[in-house]
Amino acid sequence: MKSQVNIIAVVDVIGALSIRGLHDGNLCMVDDGPFGSSHQGTADLVTIVKPGQVVSWTALAVDLQTPVEIKNISFAPSDGHAAHGRDHAGQAHRDQGPGMGAPGVHGQGAHGQGAHHEQDAAGEKLDLDVWTGVVPHWMTPGVPYQYRIEFQMYEGAHSVMRVETPALMCQ
Amino acid sequence: MPQQLAIIVLVDVGNALATSTLEGNTYLFDNMKLHGSENQGTGELVTAIHGSYWSDGSQASEQVLNWLPYSLGSVPPTVPRGYEADRARQSDEEALAELHDLADRSSAAGADAAGELNRIRRKTGTRLKTTRRTSGRMSGAKILDVTGQVVAEDGTDAHSHPAPVITDIYGEAVDAKIMYPAEYGSPDMVTDGWYWSATVDTSRPGTYAYMMRVQLHKLAQVNGELRWEPVNLTYSSALKISSEPRRNAFTKAGVGPLPIPHTPPGQGA
Repeated sequence: MKSQVNIIAVVDVIGALSIRGLHDGNLCMVDDGPFGSSHQGTADLVTIVKPGQVVSWTALAVDLQTPVEIKNISFAPSDGHAAHGRDHAGQAHRDQGPGMGAPGVHGQGAHGQGAHHEQDAAGEKLDLDVWTGVVPHWMTPGVPYQYRIEFQMYEGAHSVMRVETPALMCQ
Repeated sequence: MPQQLAIIVLVDVGNALATSTLEGNTYLFDNMKLHGSENQGTGELVTAIHGSYWSDGSQASEQVLNWLPYSLGSVPPTVPRGYEADRARQSDEEALAELHDLADRSSAAGADAAGELNRIRRKTGTRLKTTRRTSGRMSGAKILDVTGQVVAEDGTDAHSHPAPVITDIYGEAVDAKIMYPAEYGSPDMVTDGWYWSATVDTSRPGTYAYMMRVQLHKLAQVNGELRWEPVNLTYSSALKISSEPRRNAFTKAGVGPLPIPHTPPGQGA
């Protein structure tokens, strides 16, 4: 078994900033997993993994002279509320208020995307982050665990974009 | 793989030639303002370069620098490569058409043939003398102004300058093996087919100066002929290199299990 699965998110930064969105082909996700991952090349990538495998995410820019970094990757908890893998206090937190239903349909305001997130983005040194983790043994096989992946493109009010459509699924 | 870095070297060519120095006539920009580059748009740019290393101390990312010389007072570099030759040929064709027209009219009474010929001669502009040393992209071209019009011999004050060319990058940062510059051929016509690029060793943080040798071209009249004389000038800038350890973004420490909930999606409360 391949011990590591690499997931590459290729971002057309100029395209994304121009239309303020990662749709229309501005985000393509691919992986090198050995178990027949589906929807390669789209934002709906479902990566098939096995417990114990290491999964590593990397963001690359289509235009090498444009900046893009992964700002956050988080998995939605089962009650439908979003939890961040990390936040600025260094601990996971839950959103307040009623649940927003299934992952992937969360509204913009439901995720603690407060202004403080964007203000100190430049000081985060996202280029030092390595987005790597081990697939836990408690995943239910055959169920896609959708995750939210956020990208930081330069800085400013509209510099953070995300999708909640890709998923990991245990074989 | 991090973003590639570009340093724009914008030269006021006319003033640099007039004062024989790039000091005060050079404006530098880079695309690393976000990483802390200082004095953008001035001659005192300090380019910030962020390096990173793994826990065993080895270099984790490679930074690539590119230099792009731009010109104040030139035909824009984005016009097609044969633009100057095309404009020269077009002015010749126009002159031939006007000569033809003049020949037809010359039999008519009152035509000032000499005056007309003089006007046509002015319109054809001034072709540059090229020597073996100055041959190449400028050979056989006429002198143009920045709007692409040919310039008559007595009107060369308004001429466009050839874009500056970086001919060497050297100095402290190169001697100390902080960066490894080289000149490359490029299909990118904005840089006229050549550009300077360097890889950077980010393992020794600090501020390191470097020099650029820049070649400008001055329109000179020699024995009644116009030609471009190369003028070599130098300019200094600096790189500020920092390096920090990589970290696992999920745990802020070593690699651990992914933060995946214990209950599968859709089966919670």
